[in-house]
Amino acid sequence: MMFGRYMGSFHRECDDIMVEIEQINGLQTYRRRCGGETFERLLVSKTGEVIVNPVEPVNLPKDITDFLQMEFTPMVIEPGASQTVYLKFPVEIGVFLESAKDIEVLDVFAAGSQKYTLYGPPTNGVVARYYRSAVYPEIPLVETFREGVMELSVTNASHEWAEVSQAVFSCTDMKIYYDDFVAATATMNILSPTLAETNFVDAPLQTGMVKSVEIYTARKIPVLNRGYLMEWGFT
Amino acid sequence: MSFNLTEIFEIPIGIGDITLEHLVYFLVILAIGITVAKVVSTNVRRALMDRLPKSERELLTKVVYYVIVIWAFVFALPQLNVDLSGLLVAGGIAGLVIGFASQSVVSNLISGLFLMFERPIKIGDNINVSGVSGSVEDIRVLSTVVKMYDGIYVRIPNEKIFTSNITNYVHNAARRFEYSIAIRYEDDANEAIRIAKKVIATHPFALKSPAPSVFVDNLGDDGVNLTAYIWAPARNWWDVRTDLLWKIKQELEANGIEMPFPQRTLTFAEGLEVRTRPAGKDEKRE
Repeated sequence: MMFGRYMGSFHRECDDIMVEIEQINGLQTYRRRCGGETFERLLVSKTGEVIVNPVEPVNLPKDITDFLQMEFTPMVIEPGASQTVYLKFPVEIGVFLESAKDIEVLDVFAAGSQKYTLYGPPTNGVVARYYRSAVYPEIPLVETFREGVMELSVTNASHEWAEVSQAVFSCTDMKIYYDDFVAATATMNILSPTLAETNFVDAPLQTGMVKSVEIYTARKIPVLNRGYLMEWGFT
Repeated sequence: MSFNLTEIFEIPIGIGDITLEHLVYFLVILAIGITVAKVVSTNVRRALMDRLPKSERELLTKVVYYVIVIWAFVFALPQLNVDLSGLLVAGGIAGLVIGFASQSVVSNLISGLFLMFERPIKIGDNINVSGVSGSVEDIRVLSTVVKMYDGIYVRIPNEKIFTSNITNYVHNAARRFEYSIAIRYEDDANEAIRIAKKVIATHPFALKSPAPSVFVDNLGDDGVNLTAYIWAPARNWWDVRTDLLWKIKQELEANGIEMPFPQRTLTFAEGLEVRTRPAGKDEKRE
């Protein structure tokens, strides 16, 4: 497993991803290789720790949005009904430098490719990271460094049948946990035929999972945990 | 001992006919004016918190404060039997002169305030105003600073911005751009469309929705002209535009589809006859 906290030199290699810190002539060098790309930085640190963990999947190839749009197999839900399903979401890996006083993002990378989309109209919609997943009744098997498992609880609080095939989340309050696999828990509350509210839940999917350090925390971006109101439908 | 408040108020204070009552009224009006000025200026400061730099915000707040205080002072002066008619005439003339002199300044100021509240542009936006294209560096009370794409600093008076057509390229979340791609007549246009769509789909910022559109637009003189409409995030569209076209061209060529060269088909009325010269003639000339 690559995720965790490291002090001093280390070397981790999984599939085509390699992360390491090595001492060369007294200089500490961070080196990462992923998908044929390499990234290297010299580190000057005596007490700093390196943290490698999954982060919110909205940073690559460039940080342009906070939103994640998950498209999945359409589900038709009865008024008042609830259903918990499992989806696969994309994983990005963040590398942080932590000292007693500060934490800083050193590197963000991912094994897969990215695709963005527009949720809503061009005039006042939002650009979102796009990902398509099948719907699973149980926790599916995933490639740990490419995909995570999202437990999504969908509730139809409206008085009409609702067809749902997408959910848009604000990743500013995304809580990611990891162990053998990466996981997040979310809710989707359908309020009317075109309105739904999504939220992330700060709870591990399984006991013993470790909470990830979030990019938004490391970048000191003030965040209000208020979810996202999907105003432009969910089909 | 009887105590009459009315009599106390009618006591002259020793300056002309001014009584204590007049003085109290004067001070009350002034106090109300100062209080109103403080409340209004505090709210102006709060309202402009995110819209103006601190220096300009403070200046504007002070102007609002002193205008209200002066207005209250002038309003209270008649209580002290000060004849304002002369002051009004002088003030009127002075106002006229200052008004003419500062016409454009006030116009720019008012336009600036409207720009700040309407917010058609924000710092960092890519805009085009009156033929000036660039990114907004600063929005001040009297003017807006634009850095043109070639790095040139341009200061535009706010009045000009307010009365001009403003094109804000990044106001919306996404925008569309287009390519014209020409292929030879002998190439399969459907295959070219499929390949172009495939390349567009691999680009992270060529948006999935609204979906890109590639189609045969017209049959040109030299080849079939395809048009591609692609949506991209408004702040990244230029990167996508410069990145994709060459990739599409390379992929089309890799699949045997090439760009057409200008060509003309010539028809000779009596056909074209090719004659060969006898070999001896050329040799003789040499």
